[in-house]
Amino acid sequence: MAETEINKNRTMATWLKIVFSLFITGIIAAVLVYVFIYNKPHPDYEKLDAAYTLAAADLYNAFTLNKTVSGNTYNGKVIALTGKLSKVEATDSIMVCVFVFNKGMFGDEGVRCTMLPKYREQARKLQPGSDVKLKGYCTGFNDTDLILEKCSIIKL
Amino acid sequence: MKKLIFILSCLAVFSLSSNAQKFITKTGHIKFYSDSPAEKIEANNRQVNAALDAATGDFVFKVLLKSFEFEKALMQEHFNENYIESDKFPIATFLGKVNNIKDVSVAKDGKYDVVVEGKLTIHGVTQQVTEKGSFEVKQGKIAVNAKFNILLSDYNVKIPGAVTNNISKSVEITVDLNLEKFASSVN
Repeated sequence: MAETEINKNRTMATWLKIVFSLFITGIIAAVLVYVFIYNKPHPDYEKLDAAYTLAAADLYNAFTLNKTVSGNTYNGKVIALTGKLSKVEATDSIMVCVFVFNKGMFGDEGVRCTMLPKYREQARKLQPGSDVKLKGYCTGFNDTDLILEKCSIIKL
Repeated sequence: MKKLIFILSCLAVFSLSSNAQKFITKTGHIKFYSDSPAEKIEANNRQVNAALDAATGDFVFKVLLKSFEFEKALMQEHFNENYIESDKFPIATFLGKVNNIKDVSVAKDGKYDVVVEGKLTIHGVTQQVTEKGSFEVKQGKIAVNAKFNILLSDYNVKIPGAVTNNISKSVEITVDLNLEKFASSVN
């Protein structure tokens, strides 16, 4: 009778261990999901390799010729661009390096690269006409301009 | 074909009057905000193209959806890949008119309440919308502000059952544009 009681207690202890282990595993899994998936950081676009490197004019022309095909190729990709800078525009919250290739109903049209905050000071000093190489994340063509975000200066 | 129609519409809109007073920006700000019981989600886009013909009231803006920045990378991924499908529908557009543009004097500083009406296209779905906003004219520039709500279901944006409680069915859109006079040689 006593042995049966002991066995019952052992079984209970084993179950408790299993439940406790599952509970701890669940908590660890939840923490890992929270840290590495739910709270995962944004890609570091400055460090990512460019999927494509090309002249800003060639990229702009590709989009004006065929927005859909070019969008399927370049949208969402990190792209390195070379070219002669036309101007640098600044607002309260962003700084944009602009390559102008056309004039249309929305004014100057071309490639607009929003700079990462750490490159704003460097971008501010760039002179129109200077040769630059920038890298950024292509978000698409809005029928007048091609937009790159999170841009860094690779080479002056 | 859709692109051609859109470009022709824009051309028609902005070549109506020879002495048109055009105002544009390429750094407009649009924010959307979802407030659900589970979490608050906010995203900002600061490269919005917008143009206003102050003579006729014609008003257009274009928003690249991949340019929306979220606080969390996972939310941004879900927004682009699962909800708004920005590879398939990369741009949102508004093409419309300021109904009471006659009440607005761009020559005189002041704040004006406006009503904007037109076609809003998101996720490939076009809806007729009418929203209130304000134009603040200051030193020849126009600050445009508006806040309104849209229903995701109106634009066929489907939220998976697993995250229904995380995303509000109605999201708040805030428009903040600083339009500057556009002196163009192209008309």
